[in-house]
Amino acid sequence: MELSTEAKELVKRFLKTEKQKNYQFDFLVDSQKYIKWEDVEIGMEEVSKKEFVVTKEDVDAYNEATDEANPLFTCEEFAKKTAWGGLIAPPMFITPIAFWLAGDSEIGNWIKTPGAINPGQKIEFYEPIRVGDVIKARMVAHDKYIKRGKRYLIYYIEFFNQRGELVVKWWGTLILPLSKPDEEHKIEGVRK
Amino acid sequence: MSKKVCFENIELDYELPSIKANVTQEMIVKFACASLDFNPIHIDPIWAKRVNLLGVGKTIAHGQWTIAKLTQVITNWCYVDGGRLKSIDIKLIKPVFVGDTVTFRGKVVAKHPRTREMSFVEVELWAENQKGEMVAIGKAEVYLPSCANK
Repeated sequence: MELSTEAKELVKRFLKTEKQKNYQFDFLVDSQKYIKWEDVEIGMEEVSKKEFVVTKEDVDAYNEATDEANPLFTCEEFAKKTAWGGLIAPPMFITPIAFWLAGDSEIGNWIKTPGAINPGQKIEFYEPIRVGDVIKARMVAHDKYIKRGKRYLIYYIEFFNQRGELVVKWWGTLILPLSKPDEEHKIEGVRK
Repeated sequence: MSKKVCFENIELDYELPSIKANVTQEMIVKFACASLDFNPIHIDPIWAKRVNLLGVGKTIAHGQWTIAKLTQVITNWCYVDGGRLKSIDIKLIKPVFVGDTVTFRGKVVAKHPRTREMSFVEVELWAENQKGEMVAIGKAEVYLPSCANK
């Protein structure tokens, strides 16, 4: 299964950065590789093999897509004069980092599951992210449960920079779709 | 120029400047590229219709976009003055669709005085659509600098 031609064409119009162009944007193509809810074992963990090298074009693209106009995130001259001492990335710039690192790891690739719904997120912020930083992540399966007929997965990700400093702690939650309909009868409480 | 944001000067129930945004499919795809979240639930109207996504069959905006805009309420307010996010905890309670206009708001609900620049406030955050329906709710903890250092 693949994305529709219409969706592919629209995405291609907006791909800008090197990372975006080198990323498999069709999540349907590899969907069989993503770990299914039934197969998640609590405690399974992995340190990302990839790194996210933060470039100016990555941050600029994120700023543009979120209508970010705060000069602390967009203007070096201005940012230098603030308590931050220079440009930083907006806090939620951690999202593309998570998709780059967890999405292309084994543990954590569930974030690319077609049909997965985001019911909310809990995040703690530590060191700011700046251009030139090299970020890695450790992903851990934290919890899974069925509630009101939906299957929830909670995963914990710690992000570190090139100095080994903690950048973000993130307890991510997803509602995952039925992945093995033939086993549905074995899962108590799952709504048809 | 408005007064600098610092801990002692902030009053409970203070409402932060809000943000409003219109949702279009182009905006969603732009965010997909910038966030690398290309889930078909966001970028493929034909797939969304085929699987009858959420019983509606339409693409939805990224929850991470909603969270980004809610944190923007915080960063617009205090980051230039040296405020910084300690944490966020956001629940996404209703999907956001193409054509929606979403308003993102925040209100200071608690103050936590600490020593050594570790004082923080708790900000209730929420987002509502053009029908006045709440689409997200949660809270942020935000470190604010002391006014004594200004």
